[in-house]
Amino acid sequence: MFDPYYLQQLAIGLSLGMTYALMAIGFTLIFGVLNVVNFAHGEIYTLGAFAGLVLISATAPPIVAVILGALAIGALAGFSLERIAFKPFRRFTDEASLKSRAMRESTLLSSLAVSIVVREALEIAFGSQMRSVPFEYLINTPVRVGPVILVTGDFIIFGVAAAMLIGLQYLLTRTRIGLAIRAVSNNPLGAKYVGIDTDRTIITTFVVGSMMGAAAGILMGLYYGAVFPAMGFTPGIKAFVAMVMGGLSSIPGAVICALILGISESMATTFVSSGWSDMVAYGFLILTLIFFPNGLFGARRERV
Amino acid sequence: MKFRLLTLTTLTAAGIAGSAFAADTVKLGYQLPLTGDTAQYGQDFRKAAEIALTEFNAAGKPFKVEIVFEDSRSDAKEGTNIARKFVDDKEIVGVLGDFTSGVSMAAAQVYKDAGMPQLSQTASHPDYTKISKYQFRNIATQAQEGPYNAKWMAAKGFKNVAVIAEQTDWGQSVVSGFSDAVKANGGTVAFSEFFNRGLKDYRSLISKLERAKPDAIYTGFFYEDGAQFLKQLQQLGIKTPVYSTSAAYSPKLIELAGGAAEGVHLTSNFLPTDPSPNVQHFVDEWKKRSDGAVPGQFPAQAYDAVRIMLAAVEKASPNPTREKVRDALAQTRDFPGVTGKTSFSADREAEKELVKVEVKGGAFVPVAD
Repeated sequence: MFDPYYLQQLAIGLSLGMTYALMAIGFTLIFGVLNVVNFAHGEIYTLGAFAGLVLISATAPPIVAVILGALAIGALAGFSLERIAFKPFRRFTDEASLKSRAMRESTLLSSLAVSIVVREALEIAFGSQMRSVPFEYLINTPVRVGPVILVTGDFIIFGVAAAMLIGLQYLLTRTRIGLAIRAVSNNPLGAKYVGIDTDRTIITTFVVGSMMGAAAGILMGLYYGAVFPAMGFTPGIKAFVAMVMGGLSSIPGAVICALILGISESMATTFVSSGWSDMVAYGFLILTLIFFPNGLFGARRERV
Repeated sequence: MKFRLLTLTTLTAAGIAGSAFAADTVKLGYQLPLTGDTAQYGQDFRKAAEIALTEFNAAGKPFKVEIVFEDSRSDAKEGTNIARKFVDDKEIVGVLGDFTSGVSMAAAQVYKDAGMPQLSQTASHPDYTKISKYQFRNIATQAQEGPYNAKWMAAKGFKNVAVIAEQTDWGQSVVSGFSDAVKANGGTVAFSEFFNRGLKDYRSLISKLERAKPDAIYTGFFYEDGAQFLKQLQQLGIKTPVYSTSAAYSPKLIELAGGAAEGVHLTSNFLPTDPSPNVQHFVDEWKKRSDGAVPGQFPAQAYDAVRIMLAAVEKASPNPTREKVRDALAQTRDFPGVTGKTSFSADREAEKELVKVEVKGGAFVPVAD
């Protein structure tokens, strides 16, 4: 009775949502949970993909080594990003600077600047055309599940996203470092007063979040089979929308909203022209901001 | 009114003649995307233009030519700014570019008012050359290619077809040029839709398209979108034949899509495997500058466009002016390029011969039908 067409669209939507979620997790950790305005996450994602591709074309290692390589580059990139674009704005430790909104929001521009420099540098180094990933590394072999067709990558991405989500939830709620992250996010000055090493906490968060971003990048590269300097832009926007819809600070919220986003986009394609399906994401963003200013899953706390 | 325009043109022309008289270097402008999402195309055009220019300047002509490259980022606003800059530079006697129809048409408004000849290697929107007598192009339009492909598909017995194309000026001309011809041939268009350029996941669109049960799919995309589309078509196990325009003709399509590109039919006016000496010369020069990669159709068109422009400048010299270059361009007949012989018709359209091509065994192979 039920048209298998809709089941297929639902499956495609879920898989699309998963790819958004993969990006949204690391993004939300830095931007939402740590509460630091960071617009360079898309480039970390691109760097991860390029690191993996370079490794593949240089030595053709097993896929696990490729992902480990991307993770290492992600960690390094996160550390450098924090050092270049964020640390300089924390050099004033007086109370006025620490409470200053302008100081906090200036990282919007510094991180954007880093992202532009990285993207253009990649364009100069690798050219802006799409580079193909060798076919034996691709994770898009079709898999038939009843009436719907998925690919192997969908299951890998599901597994990785679930592992990231559970791991981060454990880290944030059960460990001391998670406690420190939440404390710094809530009140950097207060965290400093009670003896938390805020610098180290922030660097750790950047490293962890960026490793996740880089892993997302290489997985997406293997999933779609194309790596190029501008690849981080669209997923970055989708992740941002998912994060805002999910209430900024909630990682599970961001994941659920990423799934909602994916499903609505694929379902919307049935009823409106595909050219309009991007409108769904922005439409959701606007509706959420009007009717749920704290996001669908956001805790009611005062944002800076 | 007409008189005023004429005086103005003559005055401008006289002004340029005066300044160009002193120099033995002639300047051309080339507006193209060197950064941004479409930079890969602009970079290729620049490479092709440099090959053509080096050859020209080494040939011992009485004057040297210099090309000023400006980055338009495929942004219409940027394209218009560059156009104003080129127009203000009195030494520039002709302009090449832009890449997309949208940007070329925006810039064309400036060139139209200033009387600057503009030759685009790729702008294939039907309205582009209608802007003024200064707009030329070196590409088959969709008004040529659409009916050609419609006839080809009808001959193969595909009566009920689906059309998809990117949501741009060009994509719309793909759909209208093709759909009208299909209907005129007595076929039906079962499905017609646009997608956003750079879309990653076509599976929703493909599922929707397949519901219309078309005999074949006609597509208006470039190689990046094309490769994703073809791969996902294969993933979903769909065997409907795919036809496309010459815009998808690039070795990159096969590199990115791999086996999924097998059996795709498209048209082209450039074959790197053509044994004729000028084609092989260009392919060799290109390979030297691109780590052995083979050029696609777009760089070949750019190479020809630059050489057509250079030939026009030579014809207009000594003391080439914008007006003289325009007239020389308009007189181009049977220019022996790597994309076949090119003549400009009275409405400044390049009359191109199209070749039918199919992807077989990981290569573009010319086919008879």
